[in-house]
Amino acid sequence: MSVDLASVLTQLLVGLSRSMILFIVSAGMSFILGVLRVPNVAHGSLYMIGAFSAFSVYNYFGGGSTGFWLALLLAPFLVALVGFVAERALFCHLYQREHLMLLLFTFALMLILGDLVKIVWGPEYSSIMPPGGLKGSISIFGSAFPKYNLFLLVVGPLVAVFLWLFTNRTKVGKICRAAAVDREMVGALGINVSWIFAAAFVLGCYLAGIAGALVAPTVSITLGMDHDIIIEAFLIVTIGGLGNMWGALVGSLIFGITQALGVLFWPQFAIVFPYAAVVIVLLLRPRGLLKSVW
Amino acid sequence: MKHGGRGFGLASLIFIGALLVAFVSGALAGGKEIKVGIIDCYSGPPAVYAKDALNGFKLALKEINKKGVLGRKIVFTTRDTKFKVDIGLSMAKELVMREGVDVLVGTISSGVALAVSDFARKEKVPFIVWISKSERITGELGHRYVFCTSENTAMAGKAMAVGLSKKPYTKYWIAGDDYEYGHAIARAAWRNLQKMKPGVKKIGESWWKVGEPDLIPYLTAIMAAKPDAVIFCTGGKSMANILKAIKATGMAKKVAICIHTATDHAVLKALGPEAPEGVMGTMDYHFYFPETPENKAFVKAFKAAYGEPPGFPAFHGWNTAHFIAKAFEKAGTVNTEKFIDALEGLRIMSPVGEIEMRACDHQVVEPMFLGVTKKSPKYNFLIASDIVTLPGPEIMPSCEEIMALRAKAKK
Repeated sequence: MSVDLASVLTQLLVGLSRSMILFIVSAGMSFILGVLRVPNVAHGSLYMIGAFSAFSVYNYFGGGSTGFWLALLLAPFLVALVGFVAERALFCHLYQREHLMLLLFTFALMLILGDLVKIVWGPEYSSIMPPGGLKGSISIFGSAFPKYNLFLLVVGPLVAVFLWLFTNRTKVGKICRAAAVDREMVGALGINVSWIFAAAFVLGCYLAGIAGALVAPTVSITLGMDHDIIIEAFLIVTIGGLGNMWGALVGSLIFGITQALGVLFWPQFAIVFPYAAVVIVLLLRPRGLLKSVW
Repeated sequence: MKHGGRGFGLASLIFIGALLVAFVSGALAGGKEIKVGIIDCYSGPPAVYAKDALNGFKLALKEINKKGVLGRKIVFTTRDTKFKVDIGLSMAKELVMREGVDVLVGTISSGVALAVSDFARKEKVPFIVWISKSERITGELGHRYVFCTSENTAMAGKAMAVGLSKKPYTKYWIAGDDYEYGHAIARAAWRNLQKMKPGVKKIGESWWKVGEPDLIPYLTAIMAAKPDAVIFCTGGKSMANILKAIKATGMAKKVAICIHTATDHAVLKALGPEAPEGVMGTMDYHFYFPETPENKAFVKAFKAAYGEPPGFPAFHGWNTAHFIAKAFEKAGTVNTEKFIDALEGLRIMSPVGEIEMRACDHQVVEPMFLGVTKKSPKYNFLIASDIVTLPGPEIMPSCEEIMALRAKAKK
């Protein structure tokens, strides 16, 4: 089908904005994976809670622009709180146990959180709207591009920068990186590794919460969001390199762009493209594109 | 030894006694009520529709049970299918085998409906479909034990085609949810549109997985192809997503859009003033149109009971309850075969006028309404405006067509 350059560029931008959401979720998951060495299967559920919390905060403050900005600010803290409670109350007792236990536990947490969302918010879908300034579309390259997606394109790199600053410039961040590489050494230095794990987990949850709140105005907030995102996040983390946050960025870009371009050129098979890309990457670089932490 | 033998005899006596009591009470209990088993999706986005249908059904039952049917009350029990075929099927089995329902009713997913319809045929239990819209339900896969009180994709497709054939559009794009309902609507709409306006061209198709959250890349891709009009074939799960994406990209201002059930109140209400204007939609019920006394009374009672106006599922639910009640009355007894014979060709007074359960294929014959979404000063959600009514007989496929489809399917 004949497409002009302008459409391809627009589509690329659309794919990039989707990549930003994927990046924020995957970065959180990658961080937790790197430090705790556990793939957090409940990460998707935390993302979903972020979206639902954004909905509640939005409505509590009467909707509209204030509702949205406050939701974006507060919802991630709610999710971080959920993560903190789960970690301190339940997780931390399992650190001494077999690795498999933690994995199974995150799986159980996913199921529990899924049903908890159903109990608290009900099975019907909810919806929130972008704030006044970000509604509607602007014309880029002659095609309509939603303003909110432009906003995502700005927020994504901001989060990446923030994460980089955290892990390279703050003491806690640097210790987290060290713990990811060699937790015994960190423990030998007299640092309480358990609290480091808590910090890493909470940060990961906070990121999932931000992603959930950011995605809320563009989709219908519904049960099942967790299942959709966790598979994608898993794959992105794997192809990017385990525990590597730049890897998460690269993986998200690949995923989002292949999906957007696939939709443009072969819409009937669009669903396959990102997964085909994952297969190709894994065939060529089974350990992931960038260096994994372990 | 003797001790054990005496104990055994006593135990078996008690056991047999308990069984007898259970059987007798079971038979007695069965005789007191007409049991309806409802399987529907009460989780996720489709739950909005399922709940609406249930509310319409319950409202009708309140009236019906005042007098009762053949001296009995109609009772119901519900099961959640979670929009999955295997779960829906096992729920239907549970309702028939363990609950012993007289009639099965449901559901919203066409995939589940077809599976349960097949089950109903084998078990010889009447199954009335009340939201699912696939034309295959009463079309090529129809049979004696399945009925449909919902408009189906053949009727909707024809209604959309009637509306679109009057417009100047020639280049069409078709997109939708990649499942039974989506494809059925696409086929029906395109088939009829081509017949009515031979000059139309389909320049492309896009299909996404059911419930796909991010539809914006699909919409931008479609707009890049510059069609005159787009027919979206989205079902319950994606309806809110597609309308949101249309609003975010401003697509309705650039391309003509037609979606079946776009003007449905349940969806427009959830989106409030943020829903896109200018989207064409076909629907078989609006609470504000037509303003017949029956509709006004129905809406008033529904509002009083549930706090909000009814959507099309409630309309179907209400009709289903009345069809069931009147059919049993006409049959004179709670017998499946007599119930089915009575239901065939039965007419009831619905909120939009008299409707008929067509005897040849068990499909309800009802009018369709074509409208355009528009902001309303009266409500804080959009409504359909410039509504055109298409009478039932005009949009139904003929009995001969249906029988031919069924014969072909059997081969």
